[in-house]
Amino acid sequence: MSRKLGALVLAMGILVGAMGIKTVLSSNSKGTVMMANGPAPIPWPPRTPPKQTPPPSFN
Amino acid sequence: MPGQVDLIIWFLGTAFELLFVVCSLARKSFLHYFFLNLYLLISTTASIGRFLILWSYGQGSDQYMYFYYYSDALLTLTLFCALISLYLHVFGELRAGEYVKWGAVFLLLGTAGFSYAVVAQSTQRLSTSFAYELSQNLYFVGLVLTYILWGAVLKLRETRTRLVQIILSLGLYFSGYAASYALMNFSARLSVIRYICPVLGCFLPLSWSLTILRHDEEARLVPAQLVAVPR
Repeated sequence: MSRKLGALVLAMGILVGAMGIKTVLSSNSKGTVMMANGPAPIPWPPRTPPKQTPPPSFN
Repeated sequence: MPGQVDLIIWFLGTAFELLFVVCSLARKSFLHYFFLNLYLLISTTASIGRFLILWSYGQGSDQYMYFYYYSDALLTLTLFCALISLYLHVFGELRAGEYVKWGAVFLLLGTAGFSYAVVAQSTQRLSTSFAYELSQNLYFVGLVLTYILWGAVLKLRETRTRLVQIILSLGLYFSGYAASYALMNFSARLSVIRYICPVLGCFLPLSWSLTILRHDEEARLVPAQLVAVPR
């Protein structure tokens, strides 16, 4: 049981380390994406949808 | 459509991915490195699918974008499994396989939970944002895992040539991507940088293929003098 707990703690430590590296590397991010699978051209990342503006009212 | 250089690199990369599977089959190592083969087989299929969609709809289309990011999430998951299988190869002799599997499950669930927490605020296309975020986060988890595996190989004095070279290639691949990512963020204007990622995509299957071709499973390395010197 304690070894499984050790595995859990180690996994959480790795996750924290990985997210730390990601934060450091992307601190000056200009919208570039990190895709490490295959030589295909990279498209733009999924767009954030534009804010919905309410239709003009007919006053 | 991408330029001629991009296409040549893309075709070469796909050919190298297939080459590894063929070499594994020819050297009867397919099942021994099953997850590496599975990763490269899925990568080849994704590459063909991406090309067909790119050809039909163009690089700026939503179809290409969605297919790319969903297939990339699947590929990153498979690469994670391949990395864990390398852990099992290294730690198998220590009978620590069960703990490696538990750790991998915790890590995957933790990464998925973290990714969901990041994209939970998004109101539209949650699944696409989640696939994208999970892929990015799993990549960095893979980077850390590879460095830990490098350390374990050094500490345990691993001598199996194939295994050591496969792990070293994977480490170089991850490090190269991380370096190119940082470079792109600092100076995106340099046109050479955009070729680095696709070239790295060719490097991994080529180096794995050469490893399988040149070395038998029984081949052993002499530990480096620097490491093996007794105190």
